[in-house]
Amino acid sequence: MSTTMDDTDTKRRLARLEAELSCAREETSALRTRLDQIEGEHRACAAQYVELEQQNLNLTNLYVASYQLHGRQERSNVLAAIKEIVINLIGSEELIVYEASADRRELIPIDSFGVDESALKSVPFGHGPIGETASAGQLYVESDKKDFTAAVPLKLGDDVVGVVAIYSLLPQKSGLCPTDMDLFDVLASHGGTALFCATEGEKSPDGDAS
Amino acid sequence: MKKKILLVDDSKTVLLMEKMLLRKQPYQIVEAYDGSEAVTKSLAEMPDAILMDVVMPKMTGLEACRVIRERAETAHIPIILVTTRGEAASIEAGYTNGCTDYVTKPIDAIELIEKLENAMGQRALHMAGA
Repeated sequence: MSTTMDDTDTKRRLARLEAELSCAREETSALRTRLDQIEGEHRACAAQYVELEQQNLNLTNLYVASYQLHGRQERSNVLAAIKEIVINLIGSEELIVYEASADRRELIPIDSFGVDESALKSVPFGHGPIGETASAGQLYVESDKKDFTAAVPLKLGDDVVGVVAIYSLLPQKSGLCPTDMDLFDVLASHGGTALFCATEGEKSPDGDAS
Repeated sequence: MKKKILLVDDSKTVLLMEKMLLRKQPYQIVEAYDGSEAVTKSLAEMPDAILMDVVMPKMTGLEACRVIRERAETAHIPIILVTTRGEAASIEAGYTNGCTDYVTKPIDAIELIEKLENAMGQRALHMAGA
């Protein structure tokens, strides 16, 4: 009699424990689902943060580039700003800055960084990627060669006043990114205007570039 | 209290860029334009960290790094070198001269802030354990 009662009691306790275990399993499963959800939200937030920081970096680059170009009145300082933008913001230590000749038939090298002096030669308009950039007024980006990256027209309105030829990128840079394309735009429009204004300013009798 | 960061570069473009990237952080910024000025200001200002270019006139970043490390008063200051060349030899030269860490150009904002905070955090841990 007593044994039967014990069995019944044990069975009842076992059933209750099984029910509790089932509840606990359901709760664990719900918590796991919620954890996965939170982890997903966290990953999305992190990705959004990185994207916002990238946009912020992009805007900062553009602000710094245009500020540096327009903040300098002397021709030598404008050229220094162009070089600093290519070296520090785009990431290349090999560049030549060309200026269009008065008759607009050739490009004359006026400044450079990290390239052999033997490379500093005039380039006729329409000749090769650099000359073609001058005659077409369009950015040229090289996708195949590693020793030449881009030719950026320096423009005053629709006129090309010069070209910046950018050769190898720094070893840690695997290629051009969207920010670089925006920086090329700033160089093309603001760099050309700044170089023209500084040059004209120095030609004027009082040498005032403003 | 704001942490003081000494930015050292001969390029105004880079200095402006660094200031813009760090402007949202609770930092007080001090500037120097070459390695020699960095050595002087590191002693006068006692910054919490130094962010320094490698190639500069008068005294390079590597030389300045070594001098700052050799002086007892400034030996503890974390120094992050900003290097154009990311090759192993350049980085090795930085560590040989006593830098804490390095970033390569073009500077990545997230990487820069992480490395600055890490360097200053390690310094704080070291001080707490001393």
